Amino acid sequence: MEKVKCECGHVNPYGTYLCESCGKPLKEEEGKLANMRYEGVARRSQTYKKSFIDKIWNFFSSVKVGIWIIVILLLASSLGTIYPQEMYIPAGENPTTYYEEEYGTTGKLYYQLGFHNLYGSWWYMLLIAALGISLVICSLDRIVPLHRALKTQRVTRHTGFLKRQRFFAKADTAENPEEEIDKAEQVLLKRRYKVRREDGNLLAEKGRFSRWGPYVNHIGLIIFLIGAMLRFFPAMYIDEHIWVREGEEVVIKGTDGEYFLRNDQFFVEYYDEEDEQFREALERAGAPVVETFQTNATLLRRTDNGAVGVGTELEEVKQQEIRVNEPLTFEGFSLYQVDYKLNELAEFTFAIETEDEELNEEIADLRFTVDLYEPDMVYEFDNGYRIEIMEYFPNFYINDNGTPDTVNRVPDNPRIIFELFTPDMDPETDTGEISLIGIQMNEEINGENEHTIRMVDLDMLNVTALTVRRDRTIPILIVGGAIFMIGLVQGSYWHHRRIWLQNRDGEIWAAGHANKNWNALKNDFEAVSKSAAIPVPADQADNEEAGPEETEGVENKNGPTKQ
Amino acid sequence: MKQKRLIIRSVILLIMIGAVSYTFYSHYAEERGVVDQGDIAPNFRVQDPAGNILELEELRGNGVYVNFWATYCSFCRDKMKYMNEHYKEYEKLGVEVVNVNVDESTLRVERHQERHQLDFPLYIDRDMLVSNAYGVASLPTTFLIDENGNVIERQIGAKTEAQVIESFDRLIPGGN
Repeated sequence: MEKVKCECGHVNPYGTYLCESCGKPLKEEEGKLANMRYEGVARRSQTYKKSFIDKIWNFFSSVKVGIWIIVILLLASSLGTIYPQEMYIPAGENPTTYYEEEYGTTGKLYYQLGFHNLYGSWWYMLLIAALGISLVICSLDRIVPLHRALKTQRVTRHTGFLKRQRFFAKADTAENPEEEIDKAEQVLLKRRYKVRREDGNLLAEKGRFSRWGPYVNHIGLIIFLIGAMLRFFPAMYIDEHIWVREGEEVVIKGTDGEYFLRNDQFFVEYYDEEDEQFREALERAGAPVVETFQTNATLLRRTDNGAVGVGTELEEVKQQEIRVNEPLTFEGFSLYQVDYKLNELAEFTFAIETEDEELNEEIADLRFTVDLYEPDMVYEFDNGYRIEIMEYFPNFYINDNGTPDTVNRVPDNPRIIFELFTPDMDPETDTGEISLIGIQMNEEINGENEHTIRMVDLDMLNVTALTVRRDRTIPILIVGGAIFMIGLVQGSYWHHRRIWLQNRDGEIWAAGHANKNWNALKNDFEAVSKSAAIPVPADQADNEEAGPEETEGVENKNGPTKQ
Repeated sequence: MKQKRLIIRSVILLIMIGAVSYTFYSHYAEERGVVDQGDIAPNFRVQDPAGNILELEELRGNGVYVNFWATYCSFCRDKMKYMNEHYKEYEKLGVEVVNVNVDESTLRVERHQERHQLDFPLYIDRDMLVSNAYGVASLPTTFLIDENGNVIERQIGAKTEAQVIESFDRLIPGGN
């Protein structure tokens, strides 16, 4: 592509609207005012269309495309909030049926379209990635030429540039223009403008750094997105869940089997219903309200690095009480209290009874306790009684083949088949009295039993649920967020103003440009006019019906961002 | 100049697309287990109800078929039936089967062995230490470990008799 040489001698890249150096309009534009967006520089992406790489680049360089990506992301994100995400549906519910049962046809559709796991879906992640790429390319494509244009700008500008500024005035009344510009310089210096002089002409500039605000902001956003991206790597981010029964030691996920947690005790405290302070609120709630729940936990660490499994040795690292918002932390990991399950069955205690009163006295003291996680096979008693467990179903159900089975290993609905041998029976050859026992059930399997095994006590324990989290992306997110805010402040609370004063054959030409807050620029001109014979320029935009920037913006496909 | 522009743009695009693709890859490659094909099988020690301890390393030199199972898993039942029918002939060829139960009660494991007349020992993984180390999430999960202790395949879910035999064949030391 050919470059364009301006009459001032500066060579501009192809596609430049206003000469980077003197500001002479290089292209005929509609409207009276110059399009000052990006200083009229060529965003090269929009002028070169050559290779495949350039085409991709140009696509992402478009602010229009960027805005569309944001709009689609917003729409998609809001769709994900209509029904709960998969991770928030009640534990144990099957998502394939849950959404339809709970929300009907729309729920089914919601699930089928994959909105139940929206924020982890490939297309949502692709959109986020596209946004990141768009941010990088858009910013690069604009900041480089803009920086160069602001750096190469000359003090003496082309008359065509001055005339087409929004603030422009000419004065031929001054007797000594040189002196008036000197006076103006003093005023502007006092107002902390940076002033440059050249051949008696003046360029006063203030707050140029605010032009970099949007780019600083984008850098922050990109760092934030990188931080979010790193969350997909377990080395940077771990978010797991563990359930620990009282007394149980469980490996802490994400620690490669190095750390274990023992639940020494778990309890829930409720608000005191007798307490005057809470009574009214508790009556409104209608049910006991949890005040706190707590796990007394012991952190353990594997001492040997040999084989896993039997013989693994653990040493205690520390003991701590884990409450909501009071996690147990170690080596970057935090264990948060999130949930619990109370009263899980742990042990059944049985007694033996019979109708025969004489016999009853003899066996009245027979008690045995069955551990529902590890029941014994045989319970023998001194007086010769013997009870065997034939079958044990921790979580009983009848399977598809019509036979009794267990759903899993958790004793939620335990059933035990006992075989009882009296002292005069031989367990090897005889068949004892067989009974099936569960919660509120006691069935005799082989005819009438003389003895009844009766549940006399049960023991329950609590299960605590903890979230295991290690997040090394937090510092990155904080840095990204901080830079984001700095950029936002930089671009919002400061603005870039420029005043050109030129002595053209005894006439003073005054022009001004601000990227926003034109009123402040006007005040500056008014201050100048009080000490120097320089008129306050009229706002030429007032004469045009529509804002010139807007109409030209659309025409030039610049998109709606402000500069 | 044009050349330079193309290079810069290509490099920037490549870096970004590379980073995004790598993220996607690692996210969706979760299917890859904690222990999977190509890994060295972590050594483990398990105990059967009779108290016999087995250490994986002792089986070095044999192909090892490590099967994680539970009594309540019907696919496991089928699979172990096929294993039971064929493991003896393969034992002579240097293939060992190791069945690891995921922390059920000893009673259930023993009754299971009696009822299904399984001849091989049934080891129990107390506190799921081994299952966690191997990243076992669903049952049955099987690891084929060659004579050098390398995992040659990770299998999840139901298997037909032919598939079990095929796996046994692959495990014969020096076979392929």
